Amino acid sequence: MKKMIFLLLGLGVLFCWSPGMAESDEITVGAVTPLTGKLAVYGEGFQQAMLLALDQVNARGGIHGKPMKIAFEDNNSTSKGSVSAIQKLITIHKFPVIFGPAASSNFLAVCPIAQQNRVILIGAESAASAITRCGSYVFRVFPSDRLQGKGVAELALDLGYKEVVLTYVNNDWGVGLADVFKEVFLKNGGRLLDEFAHDEGKTDYRSEVLRIKKNDPEAVVNLTYIKEGATVLKQAYENGVDVQWLMGSASKSPKLVALAGGAAEGVIGTYPTFSQQTPQYRAFKAAWDRKYPGKKLPIFGEYNYDMVKLTARALKAAESMSPEDIRTALMEVSKGYRGVTGDKTFDANGDVGAAYGRWTVKQGGITDYP
Amino acid sequence: MAYYAQLVLNGVIAGSIYALFAVGLTLVYGVFRFINFAHGELIAWGAYLVLLFALPPISLPLYLALIPAIAGTVLIGVAQDRFVYRHLLQGHRITLLIASIGVSYFLRNTLRLIWGSDLMTYGIRPVRGIQFAGLSITPTQLLMAGTAVLFLVILFVLLTRTLLGKSLRAVADNMELAAVMGVPMQRVRVTVWVLAALFAGVGGFLLALDTNLEPAMGMTNMIKSFAAVLLGGAGNVWGALLGGLFIGMAENIGVAFFSPGYKDFISFALIFLLLILRPQGIFGVLTGMR
Repeated sequence: MKKMIFLLLGLGVLFCWSPGMAESDEITVGAVTPLTGKLAVYGEGFQQAMLLALDQVNARGGIHGKPMKIAFEDNNSTSKGSVSAIQKLITIHKFPVIFGPAASSNFLAVCPIAQQNRVILIGAESAASAITRCGSYVFRVFPSDRLQGKGVAELALDLGYKEVVLTYVNNDWGVGLADVFKEVFLKNGGRLLDEFAHDEGKTDYRSEVLRIKKNDPEAVVNLTYIKEGATVLKQAYENGVDVQWLMGSASKSPKLVALAGGAAEGVIGTYPTFSQQTPQYRAFKAAWDRKYPGKKLPIFGEYNYDMVKLTARALKAAESMSPEDIRTALMEVSKGYRGVTGDKTFDANGDVGAAYGRWTVKQGGITDYP
Repeated sequence: MAYYAQLVLNGVIAGSIYALFAVGLTLVYGVFRFINFAHGELIAWGAYLVLLFALPPISLPLYLALIPAIAGTVLIGVAQDRFVYRHLLQGHRITLLIASIGVSYFLRNTLRLIWGSDLMTYGIRPVRGIQFAGLSITPTQLLMAGTAVLFLVILFVLLTRTLLGKSLRAVADNMELAAVMGVPMQRVRVTVWVLAALFAGVGGFLLALDTNLEPAMGMTNMIKSFAAVLLGGAGNVWGALLGGLFIGMAENIGVAFFSPGYKDFISFALIFLLLILRPQGIFGVLTGMR
């Protein structure tokens, strides 16, 4: 009996001990990263960008003298793999902060787990607007798709179009974008001549086009995808509708031009971007070239770098290593923080803002709008 | 006023294409008594085969590419029957229905395997519509309406004026009795599949010419034509024709009053109502062609 009790006590001690929680001599955060599977080509770049930031944090004394570490867990690029990876990081290692997986679907698969376990989850490459509603422990340094609505509203106003027809694809994404567009556009003196949703995946948008024509607008805001966008453009052209089309980044593709033929000429749209002229960007680029000479900058590398840098700041500022304290610190240190990818101030939903570039179709190709 | 007239015109043109699909679907139902869910795939194959013959290495002009492409589509239609449906005809009708769903998956995924899931196009530059009396119509739309009318007239002549067409109607009325009376069953079977595949393939080409190609293009149109078939009373050729026109008009005119985001809702709500009020289809009274 006595032996049993000791054994149980021993087991208890063993289970209580874990690298993230206990007074260890390093601060470790977890990361669910696609190191195998179809996203592995990008995963390596994400990892290198994170490690670059980590080097810099540790070269400047780490977190109060303790080195910061990232424990990478592979997710095989799948939602299923992401779920097992995050469960391991949360239940076995008990890390207070986890960097989430790439691809919105994978990220959305793990965000309820993080929220339920009250562990901080940060994403660096997930755009889906649904992530905004993931919960108070979920953050991302990548701009939400929804922000495009704001970007397009500003584009319309900047170009002097005060009266437009608004149409958007009839799903969560489209309706969300349109709501944000309306809010910003109407508040700044814009007026909608007509607004209507259009179905996804139709081949015939002629009646929709007629509704546009009836209002005789100067500009039409069309928040939609490539296929729907191209069909609407083409059928509008055929119907003699000559307007300025304003679109988002979801239709920014050479495919739009290929499908719509000449009808896509002159479309203006927005897409999220960041300046490559800032001192932050130049420092990042120089550091990258030093650590990985001859290697091209990876896609979303800048966002991964910012994520680690910002997290390190929060860890330094946090009163303790509990997720609650780190969460408070994260909100605090993000205020006005300017990373490589611009302003990373988190809003109440853990989302960041974004700067927008402008694209246009000129002579059958997609270029930056001057 | 011109606005509403234009909506009606667009509705008629969209409807004429639905009618083309629905007539083929209902012909198969009339004779074999099952809804061929792979009908939509004939639409997509028609469109893609034209692409195959129009692109390098073959590089035929579109109108020439149409000939081997439609022949290929008809071959697929006949092959469906030869290799799958014929062997199941003695069984339960549900077996045929499920087999056709299987064939549909097979054909759609073969398309994906060959051409990928990405959108494709014939690369025709859009042209301005022709204007008359305040209405606008594009050459492609004219072609769509013209082809539909031509094919349906040919069908009418075939069914009413030829022995083959009369045999077809006899088989649709009562297969056993027709066989006993010496109607050439084999010829009738093949004729039905050839007609269904021909109408689907040509319609698919027109649809792709008007917009673009993707492997799932048949699916969406299949659902619409299925609705048109129900609306007209299953197996009733002229009912399917009018059903197709009705759906095309309902979706297009509805746009004037509702958000176009509810296009499908409008047409299906109407069908729902009609099916409750008249389960035999609105044109059930017109005891025309079966």
